[in-house]
Amino acid sequence: MINLEPTDAATQDQVLDLANLTDEQTAFSIEDLDLFYGDKQALKGVSMRIPKGQVTAFIGPSGCGKSTLLRCMNRMNDLIDNCNITGEIKLEQQNIFDRNVDVATLRRRVGMVFQRPNPFPKSIYENVVYGLRLQGVKDRRVLDKAVEESLRGAALWDEVKDRLHDNALGLSGGQQQRLVIARAIAIEPEVLLLDEPTSALDPISTLVIEELITELKNKFTVVIVTHNMQQAARVSDNTAFMYMGELIEYSDTNTLFTTPAKKQTEDYITGRYG
Amino acid sequence: MSQSADTLTSRQRSDLGASDPLRAFKDKLAQYSITMGGLMVLMTLLMIFGYLLYVVEPVFRNASIEIQQQQKLEANTNVVATGSDELNEIAYYYTDKGQLRFYPLVETSPAKSVVELPLVASQSISSIASSGSDVAFGLNDGGLMVSQPSFMMSFTDKGREITPQVRYPLGEESLTIDAQGQPLTQLAFQRDEEQVSAVALTQDHRLLLSTLVAEENFMTEEIEWVSETNQLHGIPTSISKLQITPDQRLLFVLSSNQLYIYDIVAGAFDAPRQVVEINEPGAKVTDISLMSGGSSILVGNSNGVITQWFETKSDRGRRLTKIRNFTVEGSVEKIQAEPFRKTFAVLNDKGDLRLFHSTSEADLLDEPLVNKATALQFSPRNNALIFTTKDSIDFYNLENEHPEVTWSALWQEVWYEGYPEADYVWQSTSASDDFEPKLSLVPISFGTIKAALYAMLFAVPIAIAGAIYTAYFMPPNLRKVVKPTVETMEALPTVILGFLAGLWLAPIVEEYLPFVFMIIFVIPATIVLFAFIHHKLPKKWRNILNEEYSTLMLIPIILLASMACYGLSPMIEEALMGGDARMFISNELGIDFDQRNALIVGIAMGFAVIPTIFSITEDAIFSVPQHLSNGSLALGATRWQTLVGVVLLTASPGIFSAVMMGLGRAVGETMIVLMATGNTPIMDWNIFEGMRTLSANIAVEMPESEVGSTHYRVLFLAAFVLFIFTFFFNTVAEVVRQRLRDRYGSL
Repeated sequence: MINLEPTDAATQDQVLDLANLTDEQTAFSIEDLDLFYGDKQALKGVSMRIPKGQVTAFIGPSGCGKSTLLRCMNRMNDLIDNCNITGEIKLEQQNIFDRNVDVATLRRRVGMVFQRPNPFPKSIYENVVYGLRLQGVKDRRVLDKAVEESLRGAALWDEVKDRLHDNALGLSGGQQQRLVIARAIAIEPEVLLLDEPTSALDPISTLVIEELITELKNKFTVVIVTHNMQQAARVSDNTAFMYMGELIEYSDTNTLFTTPAKKQTEDYITGRYG
Repeated sequence: MSQSADTLTSRQRSDLGASDPLRAFKDKLAQYSITMGGLMVLMTLLMIFGYLLYVVEPVFRNASIEIQQQQKLEANTNVVATGSDELNEIAYYYTDKGQLRFYPLVETSPAKSVVELPLVASQSISSIASSGSDVAFGLNDGGLMVSQPSFMMSFTDKGREITPQVRYPLGEESLTIDAQGQPLTQLAFQRDEEQVSAVALTQDHRLLLSTLVAEENFMTEEIEWVSETNQLHGIPTSISKLQITPDQRLLFVLSSNQLYIYDIVAGAFDAPRQVVEINEPGAKVTDISLMSGGSSILVGNSNGVITQWFETKSDRGRRLTKIRNFTVEGSVEKIQAEPFRKTFAVLNDKGDLRLFHSTSEADLLDEPLVNKATALQFSPRNNALIFTTKDSIDFYNLENEHPEVTWSALWQEVWYEGYPEADYVWQSTSASDDFEPKLSLVPISFGTIKAALYAMLFAVPIAIAGAIYTAYFMPPNLRKVVKPTVETMEALPTVILGFLAGLWLAPIVEEYLPFVFMIIFVIPATIVLFAFIHHKLPKKWRNILNEEYSTLMLIPIILLASMACYGLSPMIEEALMGGDARMFISNELGIDFDQRNALIVGIAMGFAVIPTIFSITEDAIFSVPQHLSNGSLALGATRWQTLVGVVLLTASPGIFSAVMMGLGRAVGETMIVLMATGNTPIMDWNIFEGMRTLSANIAVEMPESEVGSTHYRVLFLAAFVLFIFTFFFNTVAEVVRQRLRDRYGSL
């Protein structure tokens, strides 16, 4: 079901011209996005295109709006009171803020993994098949297959295959986070949003997850928010630097970290603030 | 700090040691007072438990006897009856010569005295019967004389003084039973204020019944006994014992193993109404005795079995039926029943004394006597036993306070006298003297559970649905108002709820019964219909109201639906129930209907427990971590799916403990059930009938209960049971909650 073999990914590992992506190359196209929490403006006129099949990282100091932007992409901000959004985000040429967009369907296509591991208080097995059960999948063989493939995809299968029906809360933090990733990929989303997925984990777990991310881009478009610039440099193809709600610089990772175009970016990546 | 103090220099010590003595003191003070407080709570609980058990414990104690005095008899004295005064200071016995001999039991009592029966020279005693303190003598000329010892109490300078006397209730001259002047060889006798019945067997084997009715002379106010004598026919050839019931309704004639029953009050003298074989298979009847109240007859057998019989209704009219058995070792020699209570004593051929209580089937005492006794008598207050032995009269103190309570009498079906079958009955008091308290805790425990369950039936769906909505769907601003408001409901005094339920709600529900039942179905149906219509509406319409406030549209719709039900109620009553729902239910459906019933209690007590359940459930749901539900939503779940799949699951320990807390409150609630039920201790799940709960029962009966009596102690036992109930519910709640929390709560 989930095939992690390299697909015919036109964009795979290529350095793309981010300013002129074709529609086929684009997963998300964000246009002039403003976001207000009450009176406070958290995002200011953000416009960018996120390429398909690559890992895009958002970096920036705390409160710069990178998580907010990420959460806009599957409309998790809907849950926050007095949050107002103008502008548009297009997923496959469709504005996700349109009235007739079903949020549940959107989120099924755009999966998300949060900062803190949040497995449900159920068995490992039930955690993985949660999304499939929501879609009404009942066939035991389909579920079993999805569990194995997702857990393998999340590099967790060998550790948990003998205790699939144990409570997921018995896993370690790193295992829990990989379980959450397995849960997210079990429903085969097109895009996977990772919101600081390793900030609550130890270095070894972090390493495992980072390796996993590079694997995942074979199949999904990955957008990752991270505090850790080394992580962004290690795992991402493209990097966006945000500051005070604005997108300061957006280019391929190599360029951004070696020859930043903007003074602010250079100050940040050389550690002068942030 | 202090262990290493030795190795530190004084300067270092002052740096690291306790710098502020006041702070250390406050620390210790806080520690001790908190520990003290905790221990005090535990102590209080233990003391409540301890005191309840202390009051209840005597109920389960067995009887005990202890010899107090032995009175030697002169040679050739045959004792025919014994007794004592109420205070056990003077005892007496009758000899077969008609002598009444008083003797002291304590040193302060008057010395011995002898009273002779005032017989004419030609008269001699041919038979004797005793009933209560009366002793009746059948004479050789067909006459009857009745003697009764009495005790005059007077208070002098020296203190209380008791003077023994003798009275002749039917006069000092003998009354003629047999006009033919034959000696009376067997006798039975009963007397009350207005009527006397005597049955005598003459030497030429005629059984005569003499009934004397008291007639007051208008002028002199003297009482005159008008007598009427009838002969009974169909009697057996040999008669071993005669017995008249205290209500002078039935005559029992024992002829070896057969009991002939004559209905003497109906004037059926020609033939016995019923002849029963009353012996146990293979055994002979050795003695019969009437139980106090006279409804039951005890039959002793030669194989040691004592059977209790009383009349029950059957299709052939009232028949004497065997109810239960008691067994002693050896053969039964003598049975004596206690006055006023259902205890009876049995002497066997080995000289052992056994005490039983009939209804509770309690085996109270099994003890060998010092001297083998042939007869025995209870003292008037049931606190002593007087045994007649071959050459002495032995006076024993008897400790037998609470024979009527046993574990089986409290919790199992008991066949009470006059009941058609064994049953659970709580009926602690009545106006009549020979009444037997029926103290089964089953009906009131049942009532407690019934009331709690109906209340939960009403409260749990409303409270949990309300809590889910408030915690999960309600806009935060509204939640800030709604939650404290519902919690304020908890502060409503339950006496007001009970008062409103009993006096205001009950008559309304009775009058608009179809309305009440219609809204139970119509409101949920309306909500579902509304949801469906709302779903089908075009988007433009649907979005007129903000998603979150669209629920408010339900309020006018529910009001409209209720008003429609209210308006339709009389029509439906007219069309389907012939105009009167109450009559319809009790006559057509055959369901008993009380105005104050389980429905009212369910609503009123449900109202009282809603805030408890609501508040805890709401907290539990609201405290489910946001990142969990976000995780579910991010997987494409709708809010509803997230609620069912993740939020309720995670909150389940809290919801469960909320329900159990509500149940605990409903079980212990007093005022509402006291005022809104009929307090009838019946066992029926019928929603239209009332109930009596443990708590209401204690509240109703404790003020009228005599301190230290069986009733009082059983009420304490009821309190103990109530305590156990709530203890049980709370423990189960806690244990299950812990287990659920281990599974779902470590987040």
